[in-house]
Amino acid sequence: MTDERDPKVSQRYRELAREEPPRELDAGILAASRRAAETRLAPLVPPTGRRRWYFPVAAAAIITLAVAVTLHMERQQLDPEFSGLRSEPPEAKKEPAAAAPPQESPAKPTAPREFARERGGGSRNSQAAKRAAPPAMSQHSQAADAIQQGGSAGARREFGARADESSQPQAVAREAPSGAPARLLGQVAKAQSPEAALERIAELRRQGKHDEADKALAEFRRRYPDYRIAAEMLKKIERP
Amino acid sequence: MEAPDEQLMLAYRDGNAGAFETLYLRHRQRVFRFVLRGVKSRATAEELFQEIWMRVIEARERYTPQARFTTWLYTIAHHRMVDHWRRGGLSLVELDEQDPPGDSPDPARQLEAREALARFAQALEALPVAQREAFLLHEEAGLSIAEIAAATGSNAQAAKSRLRYAVAKLKAALEHD
Repeated sequence: MTDERDPKVSQRYRELAREEPPRELDAGILAASRRAAETRLAPLVPPTGRRRWYFPVAAAAIITLAVAVTLHMERQQLDPEFSGLRSEPPEAKKEPAAAAPPQESPAKPTAPREFARERGGGSRNSQAAKRAAPPAMSQHSQAADAIQQGGSAGARREFGARADESSQPQAVAREAPSGAPARLLGQVAKAQSPEAALERIAELRRQGKHDEADKALAEFRRRYPDYRIAAEMLKKIERP
Repeated sequence: MEAPDEQLMLAYRDGNAGAFETLYLRHRQRVFRFVLRGVKSRATAEELFQEIWMRVIEARERYTPQARFTTWLYTIAHHRMVDHWRRGGLSLVELDEQDPPGDSPDPARQLEAREALARFAQALEALPVAQREAFLLHEEAGLSIAEIAAATGSNAQAAKSRLRYAVAKLKAALEHD
């Protein structure tokens, strides 16, 4: 440090009066400093230590809650639909033994179905559920209507059971394609690929079930409006 | 051992009001005299003095000890003084009512000392603003050339030149006594 002081000048300067600020000013400034210290500002740096976990934990909790609520709402939407499809019309109740396929009753009591049973889903609930069902879910309902118009009671139950197992597509493969036409129609409604659906429609044509094939084809066109059907396949699935 | 200024200011930034009190009591007289000798009236000096310390309080969250606390403090003071000079220009500090130092009971010598001090005060008052500020920062606040340059926003060469001119003029005034 360069000292530019001159001893005589410094001494004379020190001889000037040693003024001080008034005490009231001191008190005011110190009071303001204490008030400012009590009201601390928000930190400008990210929190450290334990507090740094607060935000990630809170974000994870919110995401978990959102996923749980979404799943719960989806399940609540599915239940009335499936319980409606499973509900049997009065004439079906008259012949329960003949209509029920043997593998269905104890086979797979899925959670939504159990829930629907506990809620006692009847035909009235079924109608309400059909009205409330969103368009995507109503595709199964449209196929079911087609069955009600042309299929047997057993086939209706079959379709209801199959629709109930919509989350298990491999179950379709276990069904024999040469079974009841309504079963094939149900499989068309449930088909995972357009090619498989067309094959099943062609199977209906081969069996001479042209009404069911027409309805299944109409259903196919609703589900796959942009699908281009090959000419060879078109001959198989169109009414001769 | 006394805590350094920078440590006290950091403690105050973190909420320790007592640290500010220590810091204030340590610097209040020097800052007040620095302001008082740069403005016309005591009332104005008190007003500026209060503003300077309020700025220190407000700026506590932004304080980082990159330089000496004193440099930071007098930078704030310099800015307040510049604002004041821009508003109304610089005037003299009234020193006539202040008692001269000395233990001599001789009235003649007392009068002589008072007159010598008044001439020194007039010489200080007559300095250009920048030179007087450099002198006060060096003599009253104890800043080095580099710190004066930092506090006043100039370079070291200019600060050194101003200080040399100021000391030379005051020395010349003393030699006339």
